[in-house]
Amino acid sequence: MSVMNQFKKMFMTQLRMTLREKQAWFWGIFFPVILMVIFMVIFSGGSDDDFKVKVAAVAEQSNESSNMMLQQLKQIPVFEWVEEEPVTRDYAETLVKDKDVSAAIVLPSADGDTSLSLILNKEDEQNSTSMAVISILNEYIQKANLMAAGVEPVFVLNVESVSAGSDDLKYQDFLLTGMIALSIAQGGLFGMVDMVEMRRKGLLKRLRMTPAKMGLFGFSDMLMRLVFAMFQIILLSLIGVYVFGATLHIDLVSLLIIFLFGSLAFNAIGYFFSSFSKTTEAYMGIANIASFLMMFLSGVFFPIETMPGWLQPVSKVLPLTYFVSGLRDGMVYATGWLDGTFWLGIGVLVLWGAITFLLGSLLYRNRSIAAR
Amino acid sequence: MTVLEVQNLRKSFGTVQAVKDISFAVEAGEIFTIIGPNGAGKTTTLEMIEGLVQPDGGHISYGGLSWDKDAEAIKKMIGVQPQSEAMFDLLTPQENLELFASFYEKPMSVIEILDMVNLTEHRNKKVKVLSGGQRQRLAIGLAMVGDPKILFLDEPTTGLDPQARRNIWDIVLALKEMGKTTILTTHYMDEAEKLSDRVCIVDAGQVVTLDSPAALIDRLTKEREVRMTFIDGEAAATQVEQFAGAQSAIVRTERTGKDLKLWTNQPEDALHVLFGFTKDQGYRVDQVSIREMSLEDVFISFTGKEWRD
Repeated sequence: MSVMNQFKKMFMTQLRMTLREKQAWFWGIFFPVILMVIFMVIFSGGSDDDFKVKVAAVAEQSNESSNMMLQQLKQIPVFEWVEEEPVTRDYAETLVKDKDVSAAIVLPSADGDTSLSLILNKEDEQNSTSMAVISILNEYIQKANLMAAGVEPVFVLNVESVSAGSDDLKYQDFLLTGMIALSIAQGGLFGMVDMVEMRRKGLLKRLRMTPAKMGLFGFSDMLMRLVFAMFQIILLSLIGVYVFGATLHIDLVSLLIIFLFGSLAFNAIGYFFSSFSKTTEAYMGIANIASFLMMFLSGVFFPIETMPGWLQPVSKVLPLTYFVSGLRDGMVYATGWLDGTFWLGIGVLVLWGAITFLLGSLLYRNRSIAAR
Repeated sequence: MTVLEVQNLRKSFGTVQAVKDISFAVEAGEIFTIIGPNGAGKTTTLEMIEGLVQPDGGHISYGGLSWDKDAEAIKKMIGVQPQSEAMFDLLTPQENLELFASFYEKPMSVIEILDMVNLTEHRNKKVKVLSGGQRQRLAIGLAMVGDPKILFLDEPTTGLDPQARRNIWDIVLALKEMGKTTILTTHYMDEAEKLSDRVCIVDAGQVVTLDSPAALIDRLTKEREVRMTFIDGEAAATQVEQFAGAQSAIVRTERTGKDLKLWTNQPEDALHVLFGFTKDQGYRVDQVSIREMSLEDVFISFTGKEWRD
């Protein structure tokens, strides 16, 4: 009864401290959301039918061939015509130079002329948009040639993509799960800053002078962090799914397992950092280094396989690598918890969690005796 | 009845011997004050008694209970207000008190404590916006919430303005009314004199002396300092100094301009002859005072050191 009441009060204290701390809101909620939105917008870029290239047509003299070609080109959905009617070459060049259009297509200047020209900005000559325009036009010319020759194409190319997971795995899904893992990890890495603050102010010492059950206090802290992390998962998932169209295939058991072990491991790492940081500034510095290192080396934004070969062994020891991949197993691939690599990841997380927790406790104990 | 007994306490931090040898016993219901300059070992002594710091040697007994065997029982009977402001800044005074109350089996009513430490009005503000005096009062409230027999207040008034100090004094005296035993540290002599039943003067990690404030002052030499100033200025002062020097009741004199200081073992006799002389000569006395003895003098006489706040 009194233990229950004590636990309730402790949990409420933890909850209030978190909800009233602006830093917790910023790093726990706004920062991951903003980061995810930025990365989603930059890297997922939208699907194929959103891809548009602004172009202009140039016709010095309107003629039969140019009209016909313009009509056909206008059927290509990728092109967005800045001017309805063809413009002069000089004007088109200005448009290209000012980057108002990505390319200007020069139509045949006389009846019977069959050559198309393309004006590109020198700076953009090699970029993907220019490449796309060139290949679209090439394809168009080829088709036109085939038609002119009256030949049916013999070979066709069909493009298919495959992935390890379900058929419709998108970059959004990959990024969303990466961001969820990252924000939970950061919650652990940065979240223990209040331990540093509590020790600096003598609050931990103060609590130890009362009959308060310190184990219960630690447990209430942990539980509050799990609740907060759960809230992060749900919020980020909702934004990912409803705003960016990510698709999730959740395997609840493996998700729960990886969530629990991952959160605990990163909290243990944060606890370890807090055990030797004298000030909050020192703690935040260490947590930032760890967080940035892991952010880019653990396959949050890009698959590890795309990194330089010499860097990959580093990723293989970082806990976030295994947390991200475990979370993807549970949320996207739905591979289930019977998978061997899944448990290998859990093993690595447990190792990280156990070692850092033990080191942290050891440092805390040594300090509490020696400290004034 | 002795509620706390401390014997031959010792503690070193590296090469610094913070506490060399401290022994005393505290009686139930008294306000027992440990005074001494900064670095005298007050806080270390208190932290050993509170079970936070392991002593290098010596014994601490709470009516037979010791930290080694009965830590939980001792924690239930003591209430501690530490020097640092250890409380949850983002919580309100009421929430802080309710949390601490949940640690104890029979806590005091939070409403009552808020009233006693005069924080009812501020109970729903966050602690971080409270003033120094308000925080200090909350810290005392947190020490009281478990309804302890013994309270430890470590420099509760340091850094507070005179009004806030007086508020804390009222709380300490109210605790005595309630029958609590209070162990107080301070480096304000007037505070120790005003509040304490007994004073333990500590310097350089050792007990210098221990008694009630009145008894300590009484033990001092009977020599008193008398100050006089004259409306007729330096000439009068010089004349009076010459006269005083010849009197048997006056030990010695010292003059700066028109201010005259003299020391005597019989202040009544000395003043009688002095005023007789000034009346005869027609000198007009501007001010006269006999300096009262305080714990400060006790400290100076026992340690031979000047007292610094």
